[in-house]
Amino acid sequence: MSLIHIQDLSKHFKILNRRQGLGGAFRDLFSGDYRTVRAVDGIALDIQPGEIVGYIGPNGAGKSTTIKMMTGILKPTAGTITVNGQVPYANRIRQAQIMGVVFGQRTQLWWDLPVIESFKILKEIYRVDQATFDRHMEVFEKLVGLKELYSQQVRTLSLGQRMLCDISASFLHNPQVVFLDEPTIGLDVSIKAKIRSVVSELNRVRGTTIILTTHDLGDVEALCRRIIILDKGKILFDGPTKKVTSLFGAYRTLKLQIDDFDDTTLSSLREKLAGRFGRDHGVTVASIEELWTDVTIDQARTPLSDVLNFIMKTFPVFDVRIVEISMEKVVQQVYEGALG
Amino acid sequence: MRTLARYLRLYFIIEAQYIKARMQYRADFLVSSIGMFFSSLATLAVFWILFNSINDLAGWTFMEMVFIYAFYMIAISPMQILFDHFWQLRFHIRQGTFLKYYFRPLNMMFYYMSEMFDLKGLTQLLVGIGLLIYASTQLEISWTAARVILLLVTLFSAALVQVAVVLIATCAAFWVVDSWPVLGLAWKLREFAPYPMSIFDGAFRFTFTYIIPIGFVAFYPSQLFLRPEQVSPLVYASPLIGIALFALMYWIWTQGVNSYTGTGS
Ligand SMILES: Nc1ncnc2c1ncn2[C@@H]1O[C@H](COP(=O)(O)OP(=O)(O)OP(=O)(O)O)[C@@H](O)[C@H]1O
Ligand SMILES: [Mg+2]
Repeated sequence: MSLIHIQDLSKHFKILNRRQGLGGAFRDLFSGDYRTVRAVDGIALDIQPGEIVGYIGPNGAGKSTTIKMMTGILKPTAGTITVNGQVPYANRIRQAQIMGVVFGQRTQLWWDLPVIESFKILKEIYRVDQATFDRHMEVFEKLVGLKELYSQQVRTLSLGQRMLCDISASFLHNPQVVFLDEPTIGLDVSIKAKIRSVVSELNRVRGTTIILTTHDLGDVEALCRRIIILDKGKILFDGPTKKVTSLFGAYRTLKLQIDDFDDTTLSSLREKLAGRFGRDHGVTVASIEELWTDVTIDQARTPLSDVLNFIMKTFPVFDVRIVEISMEKVVQQVYEGALG
Repeated sequence: MRTLARYLRLYFIIEAQYIKARMQYRADFLVSSIGMFFSSLATLAVFWILFNSINDLAGWTFMEMVFIYAFYMIAISPMQILFDHFWQLRFHIRQGTFLKYYFRPLNMMFYYMSEMFDLKGLTQLLVGIGLLIYASTQLEISWTAARVILLLVTLFSAALVQVAVVLIATCAAFWVVDSWPVLGLAWKLREFAPYPMSIFDGAFRFTFTYIIPIGFVAFYPSQLFLRPEQVSPLVYASPLIGIALFALMYWIWTQGVNSYTGTGS
């Protein structure tokens, strides 16, 4: 049986269309002028015990809303959802016992207390027996080096240390499923790598099911066999991560700042690139942010270094950055049929 | 029963940690306790100055006022000590940090309130007890066993009324973006509680008795000990009023918790 079963699930928010000014605010009191946001709009999915699933999509796609429904905080507008055979919102307390949740940068530990005290309080809350507690703390020590932080107050931890503590804490009571909502947001590469290894190790030794949302495709690639892409409340893709990374893993975006940038720069850049590398060259040009020109390159077809060399010779470039393909770009490509 | 024992145990574990953490800042603790001590006495000073120019307030003597005030201080201490986290509710709600209280297998009000334990409220409680003993000696109230039980019961229900009134106002934050006016009003009204209700004119007295019943925080229950012969039958219902108000408050809280959907993120 699936651990999580979701069928035709929707969550719609009704939002008041607010008017301007004081008079407007007053009229709002009696207004029936609502707009509906379809945060989650008819999704279906099944998650098996022990899976790590990457749940991704651009900002506002509905990822957090789905997680809030799975954890029983939000009641769906329509559809069915069961976790471990139970309806989450029907009995929040019972469900909380079998779940672990980490929500972004907001810690759930006791802000003013030393780290170890938070773990001891959690031990009481979840009724973890001493032997299990000791065993788990040993594992966290091995994976995270938690002992070093024991006596430090939570509010004095760095963001990365706090995240590692929060993630460890979410596994303390041996939950069946852990929800990680953007656990790597705002962290540097080395901490990200550590978090990935901790999560994958905990999943391996405990068989804990993990639902991970992130804006970093690298997280998904490192951790998840399965990926679900969500946009505007609908599932665009649900399948093996490999299929997505083989498509997008090869993409890099060159972000350039060009001197004397004007209306003609983009088209001239496009033309010159087509002239040098051919029409079907896997290189696209766009300008999304002011001052920056984005050149996205499919490295499978055209080497990035060639493109960079060529542009540097042809245009007065004074700043360059290389970034991995963005979530927005992936979604756009999926829409355009990239995953067939 | 087992749940109650578990929650009590949990509460002691959490609060012990908080007290330990606070005690590390000894100066902070001392200063805030001393501040509380003097602010407790400030109202008493007002009475004292007042009674230098008049002999009684609507028929109540200075010492009787001290008794009512002492009762009031004891009755509001549980709010101060156990429920002090209510001040932060509207910030937690607005910033989305309230979300975390949903994730533990605990009663949410318990979990939320357990995150704050206000030590300086103990100062207030002690001053209140001291004053109550002093005033009742001066007034020659004889403390029979029945009276002591009555005192404990009425103090308990007065505390429930106080907690309920303030928390109902606090819950406005679940539905109103800027809920300060509501809470601020409730907090302000509380200051009328230690005065004889008879000094207020009809509309206010009606409000403080039936609508926002702060009269039941100190004045009405005190009458049972000061002027038992004048007590209106309604006062005997004060434990019921306390329990009913607290239940109403808890119901509103539950509605709020269920309707709050969190800021998107
Ligand atoms: N409490 C709410 N009231 C009204 N609208 C909401 C609420 N929560 C979320 N939404 C809306 O629902 C949509 C989905 O939000 P959600 O937080 O689920 O997105 P997300 O995929 O987690 O995005 P992000 O990557 O930015 O975290 C958004 O349009 C958001 O504005
Ligand atoms: Mg989100």
